[in-house]
Amino acid sequence: MSFPDPIAVFRTEAAELLEQIEAGLLDLNVNLGDKDQVDAVFRGLHTLKGSGAMFGFDALAAFTHHCETAFDRVRKGEVPATQELVTAVLEAKDHMRALVDTPNGDHEATGEALLANLRAAVDGANSPGAASPAKAAPGRSHFKIRFSLPQNAMANGTNPLPLLDELRELGECKIVANRSAIPSLELLAPTDLYISWEVELLTTQPRSAIDDVFIFVMDEMQLDVVTVEPPLAAGTPGKTETASTEAGPAAAPVAPPAPIAPAPVDAKQKKTAENVRVPAEKLDELMDRVGELVIAQSRLSQLAGGSGDLQLRAVSEDVERLSGELRDTMMVLRMVPVTQLFGRFRRLVHDLAHETGKTIELLTEGETTEVDKSVIERLADPLVHLVRNSCDHGLETPEERRAAGKPEAGHILLSARQQAGEVIITIKDDGRGINKERVRAKAESSGLIAPNANLTDQELYQLIFQPGFSTAQTVTNLSGRGVGMDVVKRTIDALRGTINVTSHVGKGSEISLAIPLTLAIIDGLLVRVGDGRYVIPLSAVEECLELPIEEDMRSRGRSFISLRDSLVPFLRLRDLFRTGTKPDPFQKVVVVSTGSERVGLVVDQIIGDHQTVIKGMSKLHHDVATFSGATILGDGDVALILDVGHLVAEGQQQEAHLRAAG
Amino acid sequence: MPASDVKEDCLRLPQNLTVRAITIVQQEMLQFLDKTASATIELDDDCQVDISFIQLLEAARIYADTAGKHIALARPASGSTLDVLKRSGFLEGMSAEDLKFWLHQGGIQ
Repeated sequence: MSFPDPIAVFRTEAAELLEQIEAGLLDLNVNLGDKDQVDAVFRGLHTLKGSGAMFGFDALAAFTHHCETAFDRVRKGEVPATQELVTAVLEAKDHMRALVDTPNGDHEATGEALLANLRAAVDGANSPGAASPAKAAPGRSHFKIRFSLPQNAMANGTNPLPLLDELRELGECKIVANRSAIPSLELLAPTDLYISWEVELLTTQPRSAIDDVFIFVMDEMQLDVVTVEPPLAAGTPGKTETASTEAGPAAAPVAPPAPIAPAPVDAKQKKTAENVRVPAEKLDELMDRVGELVIAQSRLSQLAGGSGDLQLRAVSEDVERLSGELRDTMMVLRMVPVTQLFGRFRRLVHDLAHETGKTIELLTEGETTEVDKSVIERLADPLVHLVRNSCDHGLETPEERRAAGKPEAGHILLSARQQAGEVIITIKDDGRGINKERVRAKAESSGLIAPNANLTDQELYQLIFQPGFSTAQTVTNLSGRGVGMDVVKRTIDALRGTINVTSHVGKGSEISLAIPLTLAIIDGLLVRVGDGRYVIPLSAVEECLELPIEEDMRSRGRSFISLRDSLVPFLRLRDLFRTGTKPDPFQKVVVVSTGSERVGLVVDQIIGDHQTVIKGMSKLHHDVATFSGATILGDGDVALILDVGHLVAEGQQQEAHLRAAG
Repeated sequence: MPASDVKEDCLRLPQNLTVRAITIVQQEMLQFLDKTASATIELDDDCQVDISFIQLLEAARIYADTAGKHIALARPASGSTLDVLKRSGFLEGMSAEDLKFWLHQGGIQ
């Protein structure tokens, strides 16, 4: 059994913390008075600093400390949150990521420059002109604190010394270690902690500041805090000793600054306890095993089916059911919400707005839509290109928007939804739209299309995904070189997805990416065409019909069937694949669809449903558009998986030609 | 090969005296104390120390007391050892015995 590398675990946690910090900063940027976000950012920085120090990332801890201090001052109302401060900490956050990734790198000069920015932002915020709301000078409180950390605290990486240092930072502090529980050397479990502490603290901070020190061990530790005297400034005579023996939250004796409520931390810790962190590659490995199991099960089913042994058949059916359930569970494990994907675009749009001088609002919808994790990972780059393109070329400058009677702020909507085994990711902007004439002129001048070629709008828009195609009149450092959109197309093709573009001049553009929910295993419909077997993704199958020979004869030359008063084009796969075989007397039509477009696929036989473990095509067959992959059948034969999107497009094209021919 | 270096009654401890290495240090210290009636602990000037080591030495003192043995530091605590003693609150309220052991104050050991 192997244990995960603690440094790798820290890096993963640090990446999540940095994402949370970034999200908090971006939310704060929208509403600078949002105290919850100030607290959230502070908590994130505090945790990152503490964890960094714990795992030996000293440079990270030292650097983060400055940002944490800045946010602590905001939290305490000493300085207001400003956009300059948010920007400085956002930039610092990128530096923290570098310190996590390459702790031994040469980061000093960059760090110093960023800290200078941070200081300037804090000083600027603290200037008389930007003074924070007047804050009454609080009096000093006298606390007696007794605490003991969990016995396994040190083994779990909690170092008591930084906690004691933090207590000292709160005010005048006397700390005494209680050694009475330390056993004799032979009885000592050396990584356990037997020491407890008694602390006397004179501070202007509220009780909640003490809770904050222990915020990440609060659930498991013993903490007694006693207020010995009321704040001196309050002038209340007498001694009113207030006991608090709970480790949890306590009422703050001094009003400002508002404390961080410990409740969210409790929730976070509970959530952590309910989840198990698993490295992504382990999931991939498990998925491969499940795939092999599905193939073996398929083989077993065939053997059992051909055998007269009823017991073998019963066992085979059980294995089939269990492997199906295992596959479904596995698929759920791999699904992650697209919010992980969308989250990163907030920063991108924030930075792009800054770079282009535009006011851009990013809206998101359907963030809880779940997609296979490998799809999410591979969608990131294409979406970055599309969002960049929308920001840079799609949206107008504020002046142009005002002149066009539009609101000054441009909008980009990122949305996700599931539709029949696919996830549809849409990037929509309310910018200037795609100029069809300019696209056509560019395509003609570069020889992509013949002059005056008859193209539909969709065909015209698809040209923007050709390598080197750009209609941008100016090349910026963001986009305009025509590099990127072809990468988008290639990536989406590789994901077996499709791109749909709609655009209206002056109103904006919408690019929809339709991607299969999973890339690993699908439910398929196994069919026979001639002597070969093929898989049609079941999620695309609408219905199956019989095609009697006389109907087949009648339809020769038109290839349409009438389906509930609507004509559906169909493709004879036997002809398409040039099998050279005679048609089966009882052919079937499998009606498949992508969205609103439908096409019938004529096959010789429908064999049945089949759990399909998708294997990629070899490089040699990579350009064969009719197939999206292959799978191994139970008897060891290979079946090709039909690319429904391509076949539907081909059917529609056939329909268009026939209609045009009258 | 042991991490520590033994010279007669003197046990020279390794540089890493943190929780990551403390289990080995405990074993070596126990083996050493079993063999000798009077043990002197020698620390490197630039050793890495955390609170687990301070706790270990306190446990060793209890062990030595119970077993009728003597244990001492070769030199008064300094550097990172002294820093940890200060930060962890060990220096506050030290008894005469503690001061003698850790800081060699109040008489020769």
